[in-house]
Amino acid sequence: MRVLVVAGDTAAGVLPNLRQWASDAALELEAAPDLPRAVRRLATERWDIVVAVLGEHTDDDLSWWADALRGAMGAPRLVGATANPSMGTVLRAEKLGVLDLLALPLRKEAFLGALRRARSVDAEAAIPLPAVEQHAVGPYALVGQSPAMLEVYKLMARLAPSGATVLIQGESGTGKEVVARAIHQGGPHATGRFVAVNCAAIPENLLESELFGHEKGAFTGAVTRKIGRFEQAGGGTLFLDEVADMSLALQAKILRAVQEREIERVGGAETIAVDVGLIAATNRDLKEAIGQGRFREDLYYRLAVVTIRLPTLAERGDDLVLLAAFFVRQFAERYGKHIHAISDRALDLLRDHPWVGNVRELRNVIERAVIVATDDTLRAEHLPDELRGEEAKLGDGPPHQLVTLAELEARHIARVLAHSNGQIGVAAEILGIHRNTLTRKMKEYGL
Amino acid sequence: MSAPSRPPVRVDNALGLLPDLEAMAPLRALLVSISRPDERALWSSSGPYLTLGKRGVQPEELATRLAEAVRQVTEHLQVLYQAYVEALEAQQRGEGGEVVAALLRGGRLEEVAGRLLQARAWYDVALRVSEALPSRRPEAESLGALGQLSLALGQYGEGARHFQRSLALAEAEFDQARAIAACEGLGQATLAGAEWQGAQAWFARGLRLAEASGDRRFLGRLEWRLGVLARRQGDLGGAVEHLRKARDWLEAADAPDEMARVLGVQGELDLTLGRHVAAAVAYREALAWAQRAPRDVAVELSIRLRIADLQLETGRLLEAEEEMRRTEQVAIAGNRPAGLVQVYTLMGKLRGRQHDETGFVFFEQALELCRTLEPSAAAEAPVCLEYGLFQERLGHREEARAYLERAQQLFAAQGETVERARAEAELRTLSA
Repeated sequence: MRVLVVAGDTAAGVLPNLRQWASDAALELEAAPDLPRAVRRLATERWDIVVAVLGEHTDDDLSWWADALRGAMGAPRLVGATANPSMGTVLRAEKLGVLDLLALPLRKEAFLGALRRARSVDAEAAIPLPAVEQHAVGPYALVGQSPAMLEVYKLMARLAPSGATVLIQGESGTGKEVVARAIHQGGPHATGRFVAVNCAAIPENLLESELFGHEKGAFTGAVTRKIGRFEQAGGGTLFLDEVADMSLALQAKILRAVQEREIERVGGAETIAVDVGLIAATNRDLKEAIGQGRFREDLYYRLAVVTIRLPTLAERGDDLVLLAAFFVRQFAERYGKHIHAISDRALDLLRDHPWVGNVRELRNVIERAVIVATDDTLRAEHLPDELRGEEAKLGDGPPHQLVTLAELEARHIARVLAHSNGQIGVAAEILGIHRNTLTRKMKEYGL
Repeated sequence: MSAPSRPPVRVDNALGLLPDLEAMAPLRALLVSISRPDERALWSSSGPYLTLGKRGVQPEELATRLAEAVRQVTEHLQVLYQAYVEALEAQQRGEGGEVVAALLRGGRLEEVAGRLLQARAWYDVALRVSEALPSRRPEAESLGALGQLSLALGQYGEGARHFQRSLALAEAEFDQARAIAACEGLGQATLAGAEWQGAQAWFARGLRLAEASGDRRFLGRLEWRLGVLARRQGDLGGAVEHLRKARDWLEAADAPDEMARVLGVQGELDLTLGRHVAAAVAYREALAWAQRAPRDVAVELSIRLRIADLQLETGRLLEAEEEMRRTEQVAIAGNRPAGLVQVYTLMGKLRGRQHDETGFVFFEQALELCRTLEPSAAAEAPVCLEYGLFQERLGHREEARAYLERAQQLFAAQGETVERARAEAELRTLSA
């Protein structure tokens, strides 16, 4: 095992100890004076562990180190050493995938413990990728055989030939567009185009012209006549994704287009007939939005002629393994890799992750992993830092790693804060405590 | 139990309520810097198209952080007022040189805060005072500061005039450092006008002066400038050699901020030479030097943008997008709208590579941000150029032509010869 220690002048005192301990443990240890010189060595030599003595601004330093290791050969793991450890720093380190954060002055047992953890990560068994049955949908595919997905397939098979307007509901990343494309392929508009519009992606002031088109000079920036998505989808299917994000004014115009099957371009006087199949999708509760006056009830009933609800990845059980295998093969082919297996530890990490972004997040993680993989097995080291940071929670550590109640509370608060994207009100609601209590605890734990 | 929280207000709506007043600028910066993407939007299908306008801000969070913003404003005003008081005290003592030094300090503080026009007001007063002094050194220094500021504002002709006068005065006063800086500034101004020989002459003259003085930092800086010039002229071998010398001098001078900049240029050169791995290594090292330097968001942004561009050019689109998002966060947290314009332009370019029509939202957001910048045309021109190329890639020829023509006009108005020629070449390709 090769260890690179990066300690500036102020921390040069740690080096003799580390050299002695490394010699005792038969490790190869070398030193670099600072981050830039370390980056040079990381670019040209393969290291297993980098021990970085962090400065006064520990959190910032951790981020810089995460950047530095992104360009390093052989994905070395980072062990940070700091004179100012806090719960906030520990959690940040965990989030960045740091193998361990040690307190200065360094203790031999802590240093060797970090190395043991690195070695245990190395011991991974390869599991061959399982065979996956898939239903190709253009550039995508429907994958999975969980009971929840089988129900979705049955419903799709029944409604697709009817050409009825469909509302697909499901959390972000559950595959609503793939299902919409599959319905289009199996329906009466299959010979026409499938045109997707993401209503939340397009700024409010541009969405109307994107949907209905505009005449030249209709507004500043209308440099030419534009054919809108309704017209583009003529004879085919228009997929309105994230339909809940439209303004009420635009909802009224959509309602008219759906009811009358005709539109007018922005700045145009001509009424244009459109023949399109319509599929809408949302990750919101539209009935709740109706109750809050943010979505038109009449439009809802026009769109929800048939409703399909897609399960989350967590509700799909072992579909996760099938999807992972499918994506590994897909991206291995795209990036010219030959990957035939996934390690047991990588699978544990995938199973242990909460997957807030469902299949989209899984796909993203696997793509990144395939890009960095160098041989025929996809291992834990290829997974992103956020997942690797969760290794510490896998629970095979020695008894002295049992945490205090305060530490457990701090970790839970940090996770809820991360989940609520730092919004204190939302986090307090989830935790069931008053926001003032939460603010006090955040200060107490240095979060 | 906590009261149910209201959904955050979208940044575009929040900014729509903010009057366009200078006094509100720090509040605007705070609002933008505390904005967050909606957690639900991150993994939604609109997540990849998330821009500043669609982030959210909680009014209550803004309220709790008002004191912090007011403190920063107060601190800034305090050091500015202190600079003025020091100028006044020096005036009372009859120390004209110190008056100028204090006024220049005030201008530099404004420059660091990104308030370039306010900085100019300080430098103008410093110049006026210095012109009445018996020594010409303060005047040379004031002119040097005005020259640098003019370059930052893209006013190259005016910058050259300031540096010319600064050089003449510095030479008369045997102020070697000021004379070298003036030569460097004149080279930069000439380079911006694509006058290669003129730029070469100024940088070479500065280098000779630096060799005579043995100033390692200046030696490194001038070798770096000559490296940039050689690359622009297509002399890649010469550029390699100049940049190698620049790195040696600057590392010996322990100048981490300039090492970061030189390595940024080194990465670009490696890219031109087709050495993608070497370019990536240079950029990573540049980022590491930037970490060692006093925090300069502009340097960090420029390096991250280059990393993202490299990944884009080498087809590593996923990594490019991740780097762009990190860069976006740095620009938002550091209140760098100009950097944000570059990030969104690059994101639009990435979507163009993926033939994703919805990528136009990034160009629209970039153009929206350009309207808040000074000078806005300098920021808008490159956006229009890339927007035109994006439309061309998607087969929208008329839209492409309109944006390329707009870019060409904006570049021409600024005297940006090289970029204007690029826009014209793209228009010719479109017509062919």
